[in-house]
Amino acid sequence: MKISDSELNEVSDDECSQLNIDININYKQFELAMNLPMPLKGITGIFGHSASGKSTLLRAIAGLEKNLSGDITLGKTNLVNTEQGNYLKPEVRQIGLVFQNSRLFEHLSVLGNLEYAVKRCKNRKLILNEVIELTELTTILEHHVHQLSGGQQQRVALARAILAEPKLLLLDEPLSALDQHSKIQLLKMMLNIQKQLNLPMLYVSHSLDELQQVCDTLLVLSQGKVVNFGNIHQVIHQLNNFGENALIHQQTSLSLPIKQFNNGHGLTVLALNAQQDIYLTSDKTFESQTQLRCFILASDISISLTEPSNSSIVNHLFGSIKQISYIKNKVLLTINCAAQEFFVTISAFSQQKLSLTCNQQVYLQFKASAVRTFIH
Amino acid sequence: MINSDLQALSTTLEMAALTTIILLIIGTPLAWYLARMTSRYKVIIEAIVALPLVLPPTVLGFYLLIAFSPEYLPGKLWQQVTGQQLAFSFSAIVIGSVLYSLPFVVQPLQKAFEQLGDSLLEAGALLGAGPIDRFFSIVFPLTKASFITAASLGFAHTVGEFGVILMIGGNIPGETRVLSIALFDHVEAFDYARAHLLAISLLIGSMILLAAIYWLNLPKRNANVNANQIRLSK
Repeated sequence: MKISDSELNEVSDDECSQLNIDININYKQFELAMNLPMPLKGITGIFGHSASGKSTLLRAIAGLEKNLSGDITLGKTNLVNTEQGNYLKPEVRQIGLVFQNSRLFEHLSVLGNLEYAVKRCKNRKLILNEVIELTELTTILEHHVHQLSGGQQQRVALARAILAEPKLLLLDEPLSALDQHSKIQLLKMMLNIQKQLNLPMLYVSHSLDELQQVCDTLLVLSQGKVVNFGNIHQVIHQLNNFGENALIHQQTSLSLPIKQFNNGHGLTVLALNAQQDIYLTSDKTFESQTQLRCFILASDISISLTEPSNSSIVNHLFGSIKQISYIKNKVLLTINCAAQEFFVTISAFSQQKLSLTCNQQVYLQFKASAVRTFIH
Repeated sequence: MINSDLQALSTTLEMAALTTIILLIIGTPLAWYLARMTSRYKVIIEAIVALPLVLPPTVLGFYLLIAFSPEYLPGKLWQQVTGQQLAFSFSAIVIGSVLYSLPFVVQPLQKAFEQLGDSLLEAGALLGAGPIDRFFSIVFPLTKASFITAASLGFAHTVGEFGVILMIGGNIPGETRVLSIALFDHVEAFDYARAHLLAISLLIGSMILLAAIYWLNLPKRNANVNANQIRLSK
């Protein structure tokens, strides 16, 4: 896709690099209260369980949530300020939203749906055919909406939202109704589009795996309140220590450079630091990447006091225990391997047997298949 | 058919056409308002709209006759503005018909608007479409069948009207003498041949119109899928 730099700047100039949200939304059964300045860069994930307020937040930003008090400002544009009586209607906010259920217009063809957005777009910097290619819709343009598969519908919805040339694109669980193959395809498409158009996105999902693959920043909501916001790996690691009512499966979230795509035995080698590597099962999709996002569940790592030898487990890392926390019958260990934190859960029984203490030097071991990527 | 009957036919068609147009213009926003309304007073407005379905036409006609007479405000105002008496005029039977056929237009539209839901309208708004744009680019194309049903039912019901017109229109040839009144006249004059002719024409005409409506509302494959998706996306 050929887009000059000047056009890129038009689509997303500096003025919308920040989203300031200070709102209260009250319903009988549910309350959302948040005050957060969010720098918008790349794809920002919004994670939470159902009724955490994720979708309500997106609807508030888009202007679909009327029952709201407070202020939302995107860049220099005030979207809503209830004190001053400001309220920008959704049709003039220049914010796109891809819904879970694509919400395509059934009386129009695929092309008709795309043209609907183009006709009402003021900038028209994007070229229709290029977006059609980017979202791989060329062969189904004349199809009726009801002839499309779920994955195709979401691709049309994504293309339609982009063609309105929003300053910010909101994605409300766009993958949740799709099969694994379509999920991966759409996720890659979103990453590609984000980079090509430099379009900031807010991506709501209850699947941490999805978010871990594409988001740089993560906002975590629980029961209408902000739990955490920041770098995705750091936020995930902080969630590990959330206590008894765990929001996520405890895990180590990594973004590492690929050292060797295939070591001749079907394994890919990631460089953890100058001395230590991590091995995982190769996938042909890694070939085009230099950096890989992956995660290792804390329950998939075990601890050994001596360096394991004669083991089929390929990953052995050396580190020192930084923290030991007891959660019910389990023990969560935070272990530093050079600068990288790893999270390991062992049983209270094992802890008693090994009597681990802080600053103790231990070996972590995990199988290559325990290193997971969503795009696999 | 004799000239006077043809004249009654043209008066009838003119009245029904005009009534249908007025009903679509006022019935559409009313149906929209009712479909979106959440207030508890909604049932009262719905009951008023549905009243002509159960009320004897003569009751409506009686109150309209009083309201249209120059002694009361609506009739007086009309006379001041137009210089003509409202009762026993073509305008009176059109106004009467509009009220009498209101539920036949409002109800199918309201049902269609309720079924459509908000989801597609929200999608349209986020693509930059304002409210009027959304109505003509999303609502109308998706509820076209209901508009055709509403217009046809409104038209057919107006053609078949008798009681209200008899009360407020009287029987003035070329002005308020419609087919149903002409038929009544023929029967009163024992001219059964002409009565038969009018009766059979009204019967066949109404039959054709209703069959056309039901044919339009036949579940088509596409329409079904659409309806399902609308329901799912709600």
